[in-house]
Amino acid sequence: MAKTDISLDEFQKFREFFYRKTGIQFDDNKRYFVDKRLLERIEATGTESFRHYFTMLRFEASGEELQKLTNLMTVNETYFFREDYQFRCLVDSMLPAVCARKKPGARIRIWSIPSSSGEEPYSIAIYLLEHWPEIANWDVELISSDIDTDILKRARLGCYSPRSVQHVKPALLDRYFVRQKNGDYQISDELRDSVEFTRVNLAEMTDTRSYRNFDIIFCRNLLIYFDDLSRRKAAEVFYDALNAGGFVCLGHSESMSRITSLFSVKKYPEAIVYQKPEQP
Amino acid sequence: MGFVKSQPADPSKGEDRKVQRDLAGLTTALCSADPKSRRWAARDLAHFPAAVDALLTQLARETDREVREAIFITLAQFDNSQAVNGLIHCLRSEDAALRNSAIDALKLMPAAVAPMMAQLLRDPSADVRILAINVLESLRHPEVEAWLIGVIAQDTHVNVCATAVDLLTEVGTKTAVQALLALKSRFAEEPFMHFAIDVALQRIQGE
Repeated sequence: MAKTDISLDEFQKFREFFYRKTGIQFDDNKRYFVDKRLLERIEATGTESFRHYFTMLRFEASGEELQKLTNLMTVNETYFFREDYQFRCLVDSMLPAVCARKKPGARIRIWSIPSSSGEEPYSIAIYLLEHWPEIANWDVELISSDIDTDILKRARLGCYSPRSVQHVKPALLDRYFVRQKNGDYQISDELRDSVEFTRVNLAEMTDTRSYRNFDIIFCRNLLIYFDDLSRRKAAEVFYDALNAGGFVCLGHSESMSRITSLFSVKKYPEAIVYQKPEQP
Repeated sequence: MGFVKSQPADPSKGEDRKVQRDLAGLTTALCSADPKSRRWAARDLAHFPAAVDALLTQLARETDREVREAIFITLAQFDNSQAVNGLIHCLRSEDAALRNSAIDALKLMPAAVAPMMAQLLRDPSADVRILAINVLESLRHPEVEAWLIGVIAQDTHVNVCATAVDLLTEVGTKTAVQALLALKSRFAEEPFMHFAIDVALQRIQGE
């Protein structure tokens, strides 16, 4: 029979390991949240105790169990058009600045991380189609990433309950969603095809190395789950992923200025964003 | 025009591989004439704690801000005494940007900084002692208050003590009260110090 509790020592040992692997830090007040999910996986894998489970987690060559646990430990709460003032900023300020630096017809690359279940990247796509007529003149590549492989599957599927889409205007529901028999709404095939979903661990340099040449990065309400060092490392990743003059958008409670001085603060009428200098 | 997709990225083709990404290759790249190569080498050297000396040597002569920042974050990830010693050396630099970045990096290294903090707070240079207190500002370590109390109990420099009092205003508890009261009499002729101590006491005792 499985041992059914996690000791304080075990909790601390686990959180250090998980932090090293993912950059996600759990404070003491997350003990219940973490223990509950660990116990769930201990039971699901049929391991005898935390000790046995932890050994498997650390030494399993495939990393499959670590991925399953990571999927459970990540928070995936979002909704369509969350903090939409930044989408207005995208259309009215950031994209005009990006386009001014590019040759006509060149490709514009946008990275949305974390994708969660897809609400943010699809919101960006819809917002561009609705509010940025210039999309007819530019190629736009929209890539969205998450560490959680289960949530990426859901994002690709693009199915949402009526509650999830309650703030989406009926006209947009008609245009970009398909009502399912069970009452859910699925993003239209064309729109689903407009977003490339990829699995990325921001703490893993081999994952992020190939992410380059972006013009705009949305990374909202993710870094609040990271500790100071992981935030700094993520900022370095974004810096190297951006073209000169490119932008990072963070959540309303987050500030790049508190993380690194690499970026300049750009105050647009719609929002404050962070810019990689044109010439460092 | 409109939405497009590119082929999935091939991580092995993510960058120019003109040099091997091993310790020797990256150490060579760290001295490249191209700042981008130096920055990527500094980032990739995070996998090689043996690169501390090479990183510190490059840091001493590096003029590019992006490369410097990459070196600092890599040293912070090592979180070892060798890296801390090198960063402490930066605190003595005439270059304010270098000093500030060193402070930011040291704040990220509580495990390695802690054993050296007592000595740093006794440094002959008052400027270095003030910078050490700046490091304590956001160092996640249980001894922060004890170190600050040690400073206000012993340091003879008014600006060092004032910096410590400022921080105690934020992080101090009732444990600091006696030392704050004693400091008042040590600097009886400094009205600013009295004001700062009163603010700290008010904040601590009001809680």
